[in-house]
Amino acid sequence: MAQPLVKKDDDRDDEAEYSPFLGIEKGAVLQEARVFNDPQLDPRRCSQVITKLLYLLNQGETFTKIEATEVFFAVTKLFQSKDVGLRRMVYLMIKELSPSADEVIIVTSSLMKDMNSKTDMYRANAIRVLCRITDGTLLTQIERYLKQAIVDKNPVVASAALVSGIHLLQTNPEIVKRWSNEVQEAVQSRAALVQFHALALLHQIRQNDRLAVSKLVTSLTRGTVRSPLAQCLLIRYTSQVIRESATNTQGGDRPFYDFLESCLRHKAEMVIFEAARAITELSAVTSRELTPAITVLQLFLSSSKPVLRFAAVRTLNKVAMTHPMAVTNCNIDMESLISDQNRSIATLAITTLLKTGNESSVDRLMKQITNFMSDIADEFKIVVVEAIRSLCLKFPLKYRSLMNFLSNILREEGGFEYKKAIVDSIVILIRDIPDAKENGLLHLCEFIEDCEFTYLSTQILHFLGIEGPKTSDPSKYIRYIYNRVHLENATVRAAAVSTLAKFGAMVDALKPRIFVLLRRCLFDSDDEVRDRATLYINTLGGDGEVVETEKDVKDFLFGDFDIPLVNLETSLKNYEPSEQPFDINFVPREVKSHTLAEKKAPGKKPTGLGAPPTAPTSTLDAYETLLSSIPEFSSFGKLFKSSAPVELTEAETEYAVNVVKHIFDRHVVFQYNCTNTIPEQLLENVTVIVDASDAEEFSEVISKPLRSLPYDSPGHAFVAFEKPDGVPAVGKFSNMLRFIVKEVDPATGEAEEDGVEDEYQLEDLEVVAADYMIKVGVSNFRNAWESLGPDCERVDEYGLGPRESLAEAVNAVINLLGMQPCEGTEVVPSNSRSHTCLLSGVYIGNVKVLVRLQFGIDGPKEVAMKLAVRSDDESVSDAIHEIVASG
Amino acid sequence: MILALLFANAEGNILIERFSGVPAEERLHWRSFLVKLGADNLKGMKNEELLVASHKSVYIVYTVLGDVSVYVVGKDEYDELALSEVIFAITSAVKDVCGKPPTERLFLDKYGKICLCLDEIVWKGLLENTEKDRIRRLVRLKPPTEF
Repeated sequence: MAQPLVKKDDDRDDEAEYSPFLGIEKGAVLQEARVFNDPQLDPRRCSQVITKLLYLLNQGETFTKIEATEVFFAVTKLFQSKDVGLRRMVYLMIKELSPSADEVIIVTSSLMKDMNSKTDMYRANAIRVLCRITDGTLLTQIERYLKQAIVDKNPVVASAALVSGIHLLQTNPEIVKRWSNEVQEAVQSRAALVQFHALALLHQIRQNDRLAVSKLVTSLTRGTVRSPLAQCLLIRYTSQVIRESATNTQGGDRPFYDFLESCLRHKAEMVIFEAARAITELSAVTSRELTPAITVLQLFLSSSKPVLRFAAVRTLNKVAMTHPMAVTNCNIDMESLISDQNRSIATLAITTLLKTGNESSVDRLMKQITNFMSDIADEFKIVVVEAIRSLCLKFPLKYRSLMNFLSNILREEGGFEYKKAIVDSIVILIRDIPDAKENGLLHLCEFIEDCEFTYLSTQILHFLGIEGPKTSDPSKYIRYIYNRVHLENATVRAAAVSTLAKFGAMVDALKPRIFVLLRRCLFDSDDEVRDRATLYINTLGGDGEVVETEKDVKDFLFGDFDIPLVNLETSLKNYEPSEQPFDINFVPREVKSHTLAEKKAPGKKPTGLGAPPTAPTSTLDAYETLLSSIPEFSSFGKLFKSSAPVELTEAETEYAVNVVKHIFDRHVVFQYNCTNTIPEQLLENVTVIVDASDAEEFSEVISKPLRSLPYDSPGHAFVAFEKPDGVPAVGKFSNMLRFIVKEVDPATGEAEEDGVEDEYQLEDLEVVAADYMIKVGVSNFRNAWESLGPDCERVDEYGLGPRESLAEAVNAVINLLGMQPCEGTEVVPSNSRSHTCLLSGVYIGNVKVLVRLQFGIDGPKEVAMKLAVRSDDESVSDAIHEIVASG
Repeated sequence: MILALLFANAEGNILIERFSGVPAEERLHWRSFLVKLGADNLKGMKNEELLVASHKSVYIVYTVLGDVSVYVVGKDEYDELALSEVIFAITSAVKDVCGKPPTERLFLDKYGKICLCLDEIVWKGLLENTEKDRIRRLVRLKPPTEF
C-alpha cells in the first residue's frame, strides 16, 4: 500500500500479468475514439474503446468540455449499429459523459426511438439515459411514456421509470407528483424490486403530507409486502408515523407496535433487524415493548455474518445508554465479541459492556480491555476512555483499578485528542471521588514529566495548583512542578511558576522553600516567566514586605475570574487609549441573554480541564450554574424548578425588571433581572425590598444586592426565602426596588461621585402551587397510569361554577396544576358537553404524578369535574386535591 | 444514498471508483481513507467476508474478492445491512462475469462487463438490481427470466 493513489497502469513486469490497460493515456484513447465515426462500424473494436474510456473515467480522470462533447457526439453515431452488446455500452457511456458534455440533448431523438422500441430492454435503458439528460420541457414531452412505463409488465422497465422518478423528483417535483396513481399501482406489483422502488418513490412524493403517509402505512401494514427491502422501508415509515402521532393518540397501546413486533418473526434478517431497531428507538419505550427486540438482537450477536453482529451491537450500544438493564442479558454474548477481528464491533461491544456491567465484573472487564487497547486506533480508544470514565463515576469503589488502567494507557503512545480524553477523565475522577485524589494527582505528575503537549502540561499544572496544596503531603508535588521550570518551553514554565506560587500561598510550611525556587525563576530567559516570578514573590511577601493580606493573596491567586471573557474582550476593544486607565470594574458581569439561548444547544461532553465549566444544556442548567456560583445559595441543595420570567414592570419604563422563581426543597430564591434604560443614570447598590406579610410561611434569609447597574447592561439581584421542607407553600409578595442613583455625563460616560437614594415600586409577585410542579409528559398515559397502581389514588368531585366554555374550564385547571397535558387531551372539541383531560408531571420531592380530569357542562354553563390523582405518595395525591380545592 | 463504490487492487491502486452525492473535493479524501481502511484490516481475510465501519451517520461495508478489494459507502437508508445487500450483489455479479474470484488481470480483462453490471446494480446512488442471474441477462439486454 505504498502509493495508494497512483493509477494502475504500469506496475507489473510479469508478462502473464500485464494489464490490458498498460500504458493507457487519455490522448491516445481519444484518438482511438475516432473509430466511432467509421462508416463500417466494428462493434468489437468500438466496445474495447468504450471500455478504455470507462477505465479512465472510473479512475477519476476528467475530460475537458471539448473532449467530452467530441466523444459524446462520436458515441451517438453508434446508435446506427444493431449490435446489442455495443448498444448496452453506448447507454452507459452516454450516462457517464452527459454531466461534462455540451448539447447532450442532441441524443434525445435516438433515445425516444429506443423508448418506443418493441425490445423491452431498449426501453428500460433509454428511460434511464433520458432521465439523466432531461430538462423540464423535455420531461413534459416524455411524461406520457414514463407514466406508462411505471405500470409496464416488464419489471425492469417499471423499475427504470420508478428510479428515474426518484431522481427527477429532486429537479421537477411538480411533474413527478402527477404520477402518484401509477406509482400507487406499482406498489401493488408482484415483482419485489418494483414494489421496493415504487414504495420509496410514493413516500417521497407524499412525505410532506402526514395524513397521506399515515394512510399509506396503515394500508400496507395490513396487506402483504413481498420484497424484504420494501418491508424495511415500510418499517421506517411506520416508525415515522408513530413518532409523529405520539402526542395525538388517545391512550391505550401504541399504534402499529403489533406490526413491528410481527416483523421480528419475518424470514429476512434485514427485516427482523429493522423492526428491532425501530422498537428500540420508540420514544419512552417500555421494557415490555423492548424485550422481544432485545432477544432477536441478542441472537444476531452470535451470527456468523459480521454485518449482523455489527448492526446488533451498534443498536444495543444505543439502547444501553437509556435502558442499561434491558441489555444486561446480552453481556455474555457481548464479552465474546471483544475478540472480534472487526475492531468496530469489538469497540462497540466494550463500550456497551462498560455501560451495562455490574460492579463485580469491572476487574475482569478491565483485563480484557487492556489486551484490546493495543491494537485499536485512537478514535476507538477515546470512546473506550469515555466509557471507562462513566463507569468509574457509577462505581466509585472501583476507582483504583480504573484509575490504574487510565494511568497505564496514559504512558503509552497516542495522539493529542486521546491523551486529552485520558487526562480529562482522570481530572473528573479526582474531582468527584475524593479517595482517588492523591493517586490521580501523582499519575498526572508523572505524565507531565514526559508530556509532549504544551496544552495538556499547562492545564495539569493549573489543576495541580488548585488541588495539590489541599492534599496531606503537598511537598511531594513540588519536584514535578519545578522540573518543568528547567525542562520545558516558556508557556509551560510560566504555568509552573503560577502553580508554585499557589503552593506557597496555601501551605505556610512550604513558603520559604517556594521563595527560593521562585527567585531562581527571576533569571529565566523568558519575559513572562520572569514577570510572573516577580509578581508572585511580591504578592506573597517574599521580599520581606507584607504588601497584601493573606485573603487578598488567595483571592488573587485562586479567585474566580467572575467576568465573562466575552464581555472583557468587548470592553477592551471598545476602550480608546486615553488619560483614563481601563477599569475592569466597568466590565459587565452578566452574560447577555442571547448566550443563554445559545447554551440551549446540545452541550459538549464535559471536559475535565480548562477554565469554562461544562456548557449547560438547558435553561435550568444555566440557572443552576448561575445559582451554584453564588456561595450564599450553595447550601440550598438541588434546584427543583425555575419558573419562566414574570414581568414586574410595564414595557418601556425607566427600569425594566422581571423575576424568575427558583424552587428548592426548603427555599425559594427570587432572581430579579434588572435593566437600567436611562443612559444618564448609573444605579448602585440595587436591592429589592420584599414585603412577605401575605406569605406567612416564608421568611426572608438572604438579600443579595446588585452592586452596580449601568445603562443597558442587565444585572441580577437575589432575595432568598426559607419555607417549610417539601411543603408547597404559596403566598403573595410585594416588591420595591431601592438603589442609589448617580448622574452620568453622557459625553464622557463618567458618573458623579455622590448619588441619591431612590425607590421604585414594582408589581406584586405570587408563588403558586404550579411552581412546585414540573411539566413532564408520558407517551402512553394508560400504561403509565396502570403502572402507578390504585394504592395512592385519590378521587373526588368538584363544582367549578359557571364558566365561559368547557375549554376555558379545562385550561384553568391545567394552569392551576401546572402539569403537562398528554396525548393532545388539552384540546376540547367545540360543542362537546364532556371531556377527559390527562395530565402528567413531577411534584416537588421528585414524585411522579398523573391526573385524570373528567369534565361535564350542563345547560347554564355550570361545569362539574371529577379529579382522579395517582402518584407514588398518597400525601402528594392529597396535595393535588388541596390545590384544586383551594384554587 | 449509496455514496461511493470503489474497487482497488492488492497494492491499493484504484481500479474503479464511482461516487454519487460526494463533492469532487471530498473524493480524494474518501479514496485514501477507504484504501487505508482496507490496508489496515483486509489482510488475511477470506473472500467475501464482510467488514463494517461507521463514522457518524455514514456506513462502510467492504470485503476482498480474489485480488481486488471492494468498498461500498452509504448513508441514511443505506445502512450496514442495506450495504451488505449491495456488496453481495456486486461480488456475485463480478464472480459471475469472471467465473471465479478474479485475479487483477482477469478483473481488468472483464472490465467493460463489470462496469455494465455495476450500472445495473447501482444507479446514481440507488440500488436497482440485486440478483446475479437477472443482472447477467440485463447487461446483454435480455429481459429477466421471470418476465
